[in-house]
Amino acid sequence: MDVLRLQNLQKSFGSVCALKNASLTLREGEVVALLGDNGAGKSTLIKAISGVFPVDRGDIFVRGEKVSIRSTRDAMDLGIETIHQDTSLAPDLSIARNLFLGREPVNFGWLGVFAPLDLAKLRKAASEVLKRVGISKKLDADALVSTLSGGERQSIAISRAMQFAAKVIILDEPTNNLGVEETHGVLRFVKEVRDAGHSVLLITHNIHHVFQVADRIIVMRRGEIVAEQIVADTDLLTVESIITGADMSALLKEARAK
Amino acid sequence: MPVGKRRSSLIRSPQFSSLVILIVLLAVFAIVDRNFLSPLNISNMMAFLPELGIIALGMTLLLTAGEFDLSVGAVFGLAPVVVMLLVQNGGWDIGIALLAGLVLCIAIGAINGLIVTKIGISSFLVTLSMLLVVRGAALYITQGFPLKSWDQPGFFVTLLAGSLNIGSFRFYTSLWWFIGLSLFAIYILRYAKLGNWISAIGSNRNAAVARGVPADTVKIWLFIATSVLAGLAGMISAFRISAASPVAGTGYELEVIAMVVVGGTALTGGRGTILGTIVGALMLRAIRNGIVLIGVPGLAYNIFVGLIILAMLILHALLQKNAARS
Ligand SMILES: Nc1ncnc2c1ncn2[C@@H]1O[C@H](COP(=O)(O)OP(=O)(O)OP(=O)(O)O)[C@@H](O)[C@H]1O
Ligand SMILES: [Mg+2]
Repeated sequence: MDVLRLQNLQKSFGSVCALKNASLTLREGEVVALLGDNGAGKSTLIKAISGVFPVDRGDIFVRGEKVSIRSTRDAMDLGIETIHQDTSLAPDLSIARNLFLGREPVNFGWLGVFAPLDLAKLRKAASEVLKRVGISKKLDADALVSTLSGGERQSIAISRAMQFAAKVIILDEPTNNLGVEETHGVLRFVKEVRDAGHSVLLITHNIHHVFQVADRIIVMRRGEIVAEQIVADTDLLTVESIITGADMSALLKEARAK
Repeated sequence: MPVGKRRSSLIRSPQFSSLVILIVLLAVFAIVDRNFLSPLNISNMMAFLPELGIIALGMTLLLTAGEFDLSVGAVFGLAPVVVMLLVQNGGWDIGIALLAGLVLCIAIGAINGLIVTKIGISSFLVTLSMLLVVRGAALYITQGFPLKSWDQPGFFVTLLAGSLNIGSFRFYTSLWWFIGLSLFAIYILRYAKLGNWISAIGSNRNAAVARGVPADTVKIWLFIATSVLAGLAGMISAFRISAASPVAGTGYELEVIAMVVVGGTALTGGRGTILGTIVGALMLRAIRNGIVLIGVPGLAYNIFVGLIILAMLILHALLQKNAARS
């Protein structure tokens, strides 16, 4: 079953064409790695899916149904959770408040934005989430995010995506700036999420990670999708040569001959 | 959080250090001049306090969301001038004229907010231009002359500028407005969903937007609220002194921003404290009043005010650095 299907997405920023005719499919319970050099258009693609900005042209289907994603709220309501490359937490807010930002538990909901936060519930739910994610150091749900390390922040962002049990989880370079242990934590998380039946779109520059967790690889270059490979049927050198676009066939042959 | 930790973080918080400085200042003024704590002088301070304090509440929320408004002093001047013109020259009913003044303030705030969020010009430039437009409008429609204000007692005058004697203290209704609005602002910023959004927007706008927070709408409404509060403060002041001057409120924008940052709200957004703003408003009021009493020459006031503000900001910065290190 196709959870997410993109058809001929296009997006320009002024004269820069960041996305030309990008189409891809994400199936239930699979991890797809999106690869490509800096500026290839990976972040632009996922920002379009997560409602950060609208596409100029093209269609998005969720579970076979055509949808229009006009805001981040639309994407969240469709079950698409995104962890952006430029960190997605508010440093001056506590961990608990960040975990529920935009989906705050409140009392007297009819008061709308003036409704009081249910602080007890907020704190309790936050410490449960923190426990479930199993972040090595014990974190206080009331601590400000500005006091956390980069890796800890990344883990918080990931646990937030997890807690809302999204159908599709998109990770834009989640292992950037992470230590060895945290990196393994993220990769383990990706596998767990897949085993629970969710689909993951993973953007990374680390091909080794891709071969550890992904089922399929999609390569972008200058706003276009240039190749698709099944992880089980390919190897590191092939993928690297596709990404750079360089003619590495000689090198490849040499490597294979060994 | 354990009690000890909570207590130490309270002591290190900016509003607490402002409070300590305020108490020290009050003590110094009281020792140097006995009259500082006399009922008459306290009544005087309490009469002035709400007028700037009410604007400072709106400014605190706006600063926490990462924007600010330089047009508040001009709105403070324009709103009563327009209302009084409508009543005196247009023959309007005072209630309807006040409503028109409210609509005017909403419009000014909405224009500020729309230009800042939808066109993406910094609030410094937008509201600086608005200051000139609004002040210019007030001068033009009055031809520069102050208007006689509404001095017939009535419902609206009592509502905004009535007074009440308790013993030898004289309290204006404006103080109740200030207390009520302060409690509401504290509730919003600390306990309501909206406050969570305001802090998040000022702290990391993109993160807030990525979580579905309508950042632009929130900012526009905060600009409107600030403008309306400035107009309300202007009306209170005009009713109290029974005159509306087109130059009333000149320079208030900076005084209000000073109150807010002295209280510990970050100029860069994300961290706001209403309690701190109340302390800041009390402090600037006490300084202005106290330095007169202790005999600082009139032309030297601003030197002292400026130095004390600077000292407060340095203190906040040092405390912040300390907190970051520990
Ligand atoms: N908001 C924007 N305005 C103008 N140009 C943009 C904007 N966002 C992206 N671009 C341009 O679009 C192209 C694709 O950028 P994108 O961020 O999608 O790359 P990426 O594949 O995520 O790269 P990286 O691996 O470095 O994160 C780049 O040339 C970039 O300069
Ligand atoms: Mg990117």
